[in-house]
Amino acid sequence: MTDALMAVNAKTSRAGADLLRIVRINEEIKRVVGVSFKINIMALNAIFLAKRAGTAALGFGVLSNELRVFSQDLRTCMESLTGLIHGCVDEVSIVLKDIRFTRLLRQTDQLTTNGSVVPVLRQREIENDQHERRLSSLRNQLKRALEDAFRMVELGGVLAKSAKIEAAYGQSFAPALAQVSGEFDGIVEEIRDSLESLRRSAFFTGH
Amino acid sequence: MKTTKTIFQEGNHKWIAIVRDPNKPGYIIDTNEYLVTHGGRGLLLDPGGAEVFPAVFSALSTEFDPSLLSGIFASHQDPDICSSLALWLEFNPQMRCYVSWLWSSFIPHFGGTAETFVAIPDEGIDISLEGLHLQAVPAHFLHSSGNFHLYDKIAKILFSGDVGAALLPPSEDALFVEDFDKHIRHAEGFHRRWMGSNEAKRRWCERAAKMEIDMLCPQHGAIYRGADVQRFINWFDELQVGIVAA
Repeated sequence: MTDALMAVNAKTSRAGADLLRIVRINEEIKRVVGVSFKINIMALNAIFLAKRAGTAALGFGVLSNELRVFSQDLRTCMESLTGLIHGCVDEVSIVLKDIRFTRLLRQTDQLTTNGSVVPVLRQREIENDQHERRLSSLRNQLKRALEDAFRMVELGGVLAKSAKIEAAYGQSFAPALAQVSGEFDGIVEEIRDSLESLRRSAFFTGH
Repeated sequence: MKTTKTIFQEGNHKWIAIVRDPNKPGYIIDTNEYLVTHGGRGLLLDPGGAEVFPAVFSALSTEFDPSLLSGIFASHQDPDICSSLALWLEFNPQMRCYVSWLWSSFIPHFGGTAETFVAIPDEGIDISLEGLHLQAVPAHFLHSSGNFHLYDKIAKILFSGDVGAALLPPSEDALFVEDFDKHIRHAEGFHRRWMGSNEAKRRWCERAAKMEIDMLCPQHGAIYRGADVQRFINWFDELQVGIVAA
């Protein structure tokens, strides 16, 4: 097998693996979006509960409202991640098509004696590099957006833990508030785990 | 690599068949591509699939400068017809692709832009190549719902796409039909299953019988010439097609 052919095969399998990794990242993002929707509903219920508890749960009410805002912000953040994911899918698909066309053009060049394929092949390789660079830029953007989401979830975790503390001052409502704040904490941890696994994806680490 | 055979020449007007690649993988159907040249420009008929592009391009370029191709004629929409379109356009983005209006928004999935495609209306059109008028002849439902053949009245050649196609065993790879009765056995199964309508077949046979045809050039198999052309039309006319025994 020639070096060029081996390089093409390696590139194809890398692009194919990238596509699969992107699909998995997208599935995880969808899961986070679903969970953040759940936080929104839970926060609404918590706000009603805090209102019923009156002055004893004022702080809990404020934190519940903050958690609701957090869930909405998280959804917006996830939407931007989804947009970047779609961009990555587009670019990886183009890269895969490029690889196929380049392979066919190289074969054509080997079979053709008059050198007419060389300029086309050169142009194609320039375009391939541009697509590779665009994919690399999207990969970095996605990584940064993921870090932003992670920081947001850290804040969500702080809110959930503060809600747990506030629940303790809820007097007769304390057990109910503790249960809700515990669920908040559990869900935020679940999101954190999801984002952690995304950060470790070989799409970003390259192995 | 495929080989080229000039099947008609009169001055600068030529028909070149691009055929038979001994290195073609067995899992890909063998295809014939045809190049019509006139006045220094060329029209490529059913240029083939992406995987056979290297073989077709290299064979063609031994006879003709690919950058002088002004167009591609696609008899219908199948991948073995024109999935190589994007690769041809790399060499000449100005090239036009003539295809039935029915497929003109499907074929762009293989490549090209809005400017690439010339949609052929159901009744057909004349395609001009440096003053030569080639006729896109309706052959709908044989085997595609929007299907055209290409007739050159000067060369008396009808490019017939899948009509007349035969799936030849490796040992029988002559360019022209030599023994009609033996050859047609390889065409029978193909026509029974791939041709969708007896009514459409009847109309095509009537139309073809009225044309002056010296050579009937299918996309698969061997070329019919002389008396074998009418022999094929008669055989096809009598064949029952389009019904699957399930």
